[in-house]
Amino acid sequence: MNETTAMDPTILDPENTTATAPEGVTDTLNREKVEAYSAPEPAWLKERRMHAWEVYEQTPMPTTRLEEWRYTDLKEKLDLDTLAWPEVTECADDFGACPEGLQEAMRADRAASGHVWEIDGIVFHIDLEDDLAEKGVVLTSLRRAVDSHPQILKEYLATEAVPPESGKFEALNGALWTDGILLFVPRGVRLDLPVRVTRWASQAGVSIFSRTLIVAEPGSQVSLVDEILSDDFDAQTFVSDAVEVMAKDGAQVQYVSLQRLGRGAFYQSSQRTLAQRDSTLDTLNVSMGASTARVDLNARLLGPGANSDMLGLYFGDDNQHFHHNTSQDHVAPNTSSDLLYKGALDHNSRSVFRGIIKVHPKAQKTDAYQTNRNLLLSDDARADSLPNLEIQADDVRCSHGATVGQLDAESRFYLMSRGLTREQAERLVVLGFLGEVLSRLPLGGVVEKVTNVIEEKLRQV
Amino acid sequence: MPENETLHDLGLDEYKYGFVDEEKHVFRTKPGLTEEVVRQISAQKDEPEWMLEFRLKALGIYYSKPMPTWGGNLSDLERVLGEIYFYVRPQDKMEHSWDDVPEDIKTTFERLGIPEAEQKILAGVGAQYESEMVYHSLKKEWEDKGVIFDSIEEGLKNHPELFRKYFGTVIPSQDNKFAAMNSAVWSGGSFVYIPKGVELGTPLQAYFRVNQERMGQFERTLIIADEGSHAHYIEGCTAPVYSTESFHSGVIEIIVHKNARFRYTTIQNWSNNMYNLVTQRALVHENASMEWLDGNLGSKLTMKYPSCFLVGEGAHGEILSIAYAGNGQHHDTGGKVVHAAPRTTSSIVSKSISRGTGRSSYRGLCKIYEGAKHAKSNVECDALLINDTSRTDTYPYIEVDERDANVGHEATVSKVGDEQLFYLMSRGMSEEEAMALIVRGFIEPIAKELPLEYAVELNRLIDLEMEGSVG
Repeated sequence: MNETTAMDPTILDPENTTATAPEGVTDTLNREKVEAYSAPEPAWLKERRMHAWEVYEQTPMPTTRLEEWRYTDLKEKLDLDTLAWPEVTECADDFGACPEGLQEAMRADRAASGHVWEIDGIVFHIDLEDDLAEKGVVLTSLRRAVDSHPQILKEYLATEAVPPESGKFEALNGALWTDGILLFVPRGVRLDLPVRVTRWASQAGVSIFSRTLIVAEPGSQVSLVDEILSDDFDAQTFVSDAVEVMAKDGAQVQYVSLQRLGRGAFYQSSQRTLAQRDSTLDTLNVSMGASTARVDLNARLLGPGANSDMLGLYFGDDNQHFHHNTSQDHVAPNTSSDLLYKGALDHNSRSVFRGIIKVHPKAQKTDAYQTNRNLLLSDDARADSLPNLEIQADDVRCSHGATVGQLDAESRFYLMSRGLTREQAERLVVLGFLGEVLSRLPLGGVVEKVTNVIEEKLRQV
Repeated sequence: MPENETLHDLGLDEYKYGFVDEEKHVFRTKPGLTEEVVRQISAQKDEPEWMLEFRLKALGIYYSKPMPTWGGNLSDLERVLGEIYFYVRPQDKMEHSWDDVPEDIKTTFERLGIPEAEQKILAGVGAQYESEMVYHSLKKEWEDKGVIFDSIEEGLKNHPELFRKYFGTVIPSQDNKFAAMNSAVWSGGSFVYIPKGVELGTPLQAYFRVNQERMGQFERTLIIADEGSHAHYIEGCTAPVYSTESFHSGVIEIIVHKNARFRYTTIQNWSNNMYNLVTQRALVHENASMEWLDGNLGSKLTMKYPSCFLVGEGAHGEILSIAYAGNGQHHDTGGKVVHAAPRTTSSIVSKSISRGTGRSSYRGLCKIYEGAKHAKSNVECDALLINDTSRTDTYPYIEVDERDANVGHEATVSKVGDEQLFYLMSRGMSEEEAMALIVRGFIEPIAKELPLEYAVELNRLIDLEMEGSVG
């Protein structure tokens, strides 16, 4: 009866959140590393990294006393001290020489406008349809973009979307990112096929920092599928992502993240999307892998007529821990957002969904929805759901819903009466439950890929 | 609806209980909270030693806990708590006959309509003025059946065993900072015992009035509904309007035994200078049922989350909450249901209206422990916004540790629809009248849950204001 509950005032104790010594400074993650890493880089970038490091040192490590981290205890889940810096091996741009798991993922991809392959945070292959390159589309690695497109990076990299001030991990990534992707689509250019990014983590016990920057100029259209995967690790491996997506006036952008890291990984991803006037900026986050996966997604609707669909899908087994922390920020009037996150949880796995719709004072005529549905498949699984609303404009339509429940016995019974075994019936019900999310994002190849991963997981149930 | 009624006429924005009576007391402590104050309160009550120890221990817990940083704005509270009187004794002893109550206090309660209501519809009435219950009575037929309806002090004196068995067990001092504060300085409140199988046909009612400026009221209520019993308890609260803040922090503990049913109704209509931070919790045993009906109209800031801890198989908990936040008001209210036994069920329905610069926040917890098989819980929150300066928030916490459970939460936010307004206005209503009708329609699903007796009281609080006259 005396357990800490939501209303316990001791949860947020400001006295305990003031840090004295910088937290999270280790043998490999330290100022010297940032200095050494940025030594060959231009001054502006070096400055930016050092600033990010300053912020990192000043920001205390998030604790469960912070509302955003209440259900994910970093003390228990992440030990930065054990992490080594990955061996930086320049990979040969040779498909056949790639790790088998990476090849397999790439073979399963359908047609694309371009490809990016990355291993341990270093891009080693890029291709883009010739006609798109001629139209001015830029698809390159961040390392190369420092020389080839400094203006774009100066303007957008870690400035507006995911600046170091966003939080501890955002600052760390801003200081130590090794590479990543820049995708720039000029005004009015439309990409019929998605850009496919496949990233592989090969080393256990290291930390990997990568970033993605997508800038879609007015009236352009693009989708990017970002898949990250690995084998299981025998030591904790920290994979950090920062994703910045800008949709200018009237642009249409889809960002899909497909996370299939092996066990032993701690995956941390900070995503922020900025949608300007009449743009459409949709996201899908599929969380299947890693031991702990923490995704922070902030959708900002900055121009009238902007719209964001935010989809999420997760399937946990063993001791997996997923934490999705989303926010829908309606800053401008006449904007809409629709969030649907669905997940199934087996064995001892656990999921936390915390989402907030914020309607800012002048954002009249907002339509904002938020739904989180969880299916518990085992006695030991756990789901926590915290769908929040903060509404400061009156002419709005907002709603949210959250459910946690077990497999629908009636559906299962029906399927079994049609001759399916119990296992087959359950598999089908789970697929149908999760399929609702996929059906809302009909992107070639993604649905099949995700369905395959889910089926693989279900076979182990 | 009466003709020409407007939203303004609903009277929700006006406060008619703001009259002040001359400040009279036989004893009061110095402003602020110190160990001396706690010892004085205990001495005034001539308490057993264990209670003084209990209070002093709670005071230590209070000091050790930080001020909450969530919920409403409490940045001024440290200052306010330094200025208020934690204990004010209005008269020497509590009366059981209305005629013996001092004239001025009697007049106050008569202006609130209490003796009249008692005659007509209530099984028992208690009235608290400042820090002490000044009046308590129970109809003889219920007394004969063994029902106890006393001030909490009399409960401690006359029923020490029963009291000690349950006091502080549902809400321990460690629960939160304000429960600790209440445990240290509690004064007044009711002690209720409903014997096995007794069904009270009419409600018990308690009135809380704060008259003194810069006053803190800390009532403590302990209710035990024994097996198979059935009862309804109503509390109402009012205070004068002062330019300085007052403070109210109650602790309500309820034990609902096997097969019993209990309903606790609050009509909180404090003046808009009142901090109202209350902890209310019920422990619900096998096949028992607990209902909280929580109406928050007044106060500057209310933080209150009535809770049902469903600890027996088949227990049921229900929380109906309605909040109206006018200019400058913030209601941070909601409910908590904790399912700790199989086949437990619960439902929370919350409706809030924010007007002007008012802010209503729903904050709630639904927790299903592992082993609470076939637990079911449903939460529904609806918020209505009247002006573009109004604000509403929803902060539900859903924690499910059991597969065989079903939990649902839904919330909607809307403004009064242009189409609804247009339709009603096309039928000849003014915009204001139409608005009032829509607001009434919005709260109706909860209002209709009120028993007739309660409706009488609610009408006093709302309709009388509408007509512009009290007493």
